[in-house]
Amino acid sequence: MNDNYNYAFLDEGSKREIRRSVLKAVAIPGYQVPFGSRELPIGRGWGTGGIQLTLSLIGPEDTLKVIDQGSDESVNAVNIKKFVKMCTGVPCTTRTQDATIIQTRHRVPEIPLRNDQILVLQVPTPEPLRIVEPKEEVTKKMHAEMDYAGIWLQLYESLVKYGKVTIGSEYPCTVENRYIMNPSPIPKFDNPKLHEAECLYLFGAGREKKIYAVPPHTRVVSLAFDDVPFEKEDFTGKKCRLCGSTDTYLDEIYDSATGERYYQCSDTSYCKEVRSR
Amino acid sequence: MKKLHTFDEVFDSQKTFRAILEAMANPGRRVSAAEAAGKLYGEKPAMLAAAMTLLDNSVCFCCPGDRALEEQIHLLTHSAAADLSRADYLFVTSPSRLPEAVSAAKCGTLENPHLSATLIIADSREGEEDAVLFGPGIAGRMHVPISRTAAEAVRLRDARRDEYPEGIDLLLLSPDGTFYCIPRLVKREEA
Repeated sequence: MNDNYNYAFLDEGSKREIRRSVLKAVAIPGYQVPFGSRELPIGRGWGTGGIQLTLSLIGPEDTLKVIDQGSDESVNAVNIKKFVKMCTGVPCTTRTQDATIIQTRHRVPEIPLRNDQILVLQVPTPEPLRIVEPKEEVTKKMHAEMDYAGIWLQLYESLVKYGKVTIGSEYPCTVENRYIMNPSPIPKFDNPKLHEAECLYLFGAGREKKIYAVPPHTRVVSLAFDDVPFEKEDFTGKKCRLCGSTDTYLDEIYDSATGERYYQCSDTSYCKEVRSR
Repeated sequence: MKKLHTFDEVFDSQKTFRAILEAMANPGRRVSAAEAAGKLYGEKPAMLAAAMTLLDNSVCFCCPGDRALEEQIHLLTHSAAADLSRADYLFVTSPSRLPEAVSAAKCGTLENPHLSATLIIADSREGEEDAVLFGPGIAGRMHVPISRTAAEAVRLRDARRDEYPEGIDLLLLSPDGTFYCIPRLVKREEA
């Protein structure tokens, strides 16, 4: 641990402000609480929202896991782990079950999380209405008035044009029948994991300066029409080439030399665990 | 140099915050900040521990009818005291002050519901009765023993009829340093 920095890098005033915002976010599920996003030794857009949340939460009794697109070993995940470890000295793990705080980009782990675990998601675009309205001032008003016609229309247009909803990730959902929320760029496959979960989900957008949350046992429903139900990715007939799992989110790998397509688990720690059984 | 307390601004704040976060995310669950509170002084050390964790000079607070606590919080956190209706955090130490505190607390706006007050209420745990709470953070319905003070706080809060997402959040703090939270969306089932 590097003692030249304050514990967990951020000064205590910054942590306090983030902590106050986190508590408001938990009290108002799905609402984006603005906060004074701090400068970090990582460029904005590289997970600074998630890092600030993690740094404000973490203490000596925690164990940290960081994943990027499901992988514990990607550059982003490894560097965030190194950074947090350098300024806190907390142990890091790749085993989902052993972690108390899991910071993630673009995936929710395959193993269901417990109530004593917190999942911190890095969010590039927290505003689900941005796609239909560019002005922050207007989207805030739209949320206040529950004016969500634009986003419904966008789904409808997608249906008319392509015969199905074509959103792959960042699939919007309604939290506690009130706010429409962007669940961060997790695949649709992970959306149902937010509903009535055991763990606390915290979302941090450093560049956009927003924090929001989904507490445990909260209703999170992906947007869908009565006659066109929500559909997640379908991997029927496919399995992980390494562990053989058929019920996980699979990455498609294309071999340009042979023209073959392979599938393997996006959650590398889960995949390793299945193989070691 | 002799310090008035041994509360560590870094580690005890972090521990207390995690306890408050656990309580806010799991309404009705009683958690403890007794260890951190034991490092502070005065008659309401648990209130001071919460203040040390959440307050600084960018928010304001009010301790209706409790000048001594107001001075201690200001001394420890540099947070400014404010009127009931402007305060971000209300420390209510006497049940007799509950009606004016709950009715005057700010509830935010539909656009900015986070600009609402959090009430930290001293709860003696007298006259505890079984209550059923439900809402986000609770799996189905939860039986919780709530005191006369807590029941009154919830009743007064509901009487405000805030339009969600506007609202106020309650933290019920017992003298032994244990507490639980009732955020704005958590309701008590009518008997």
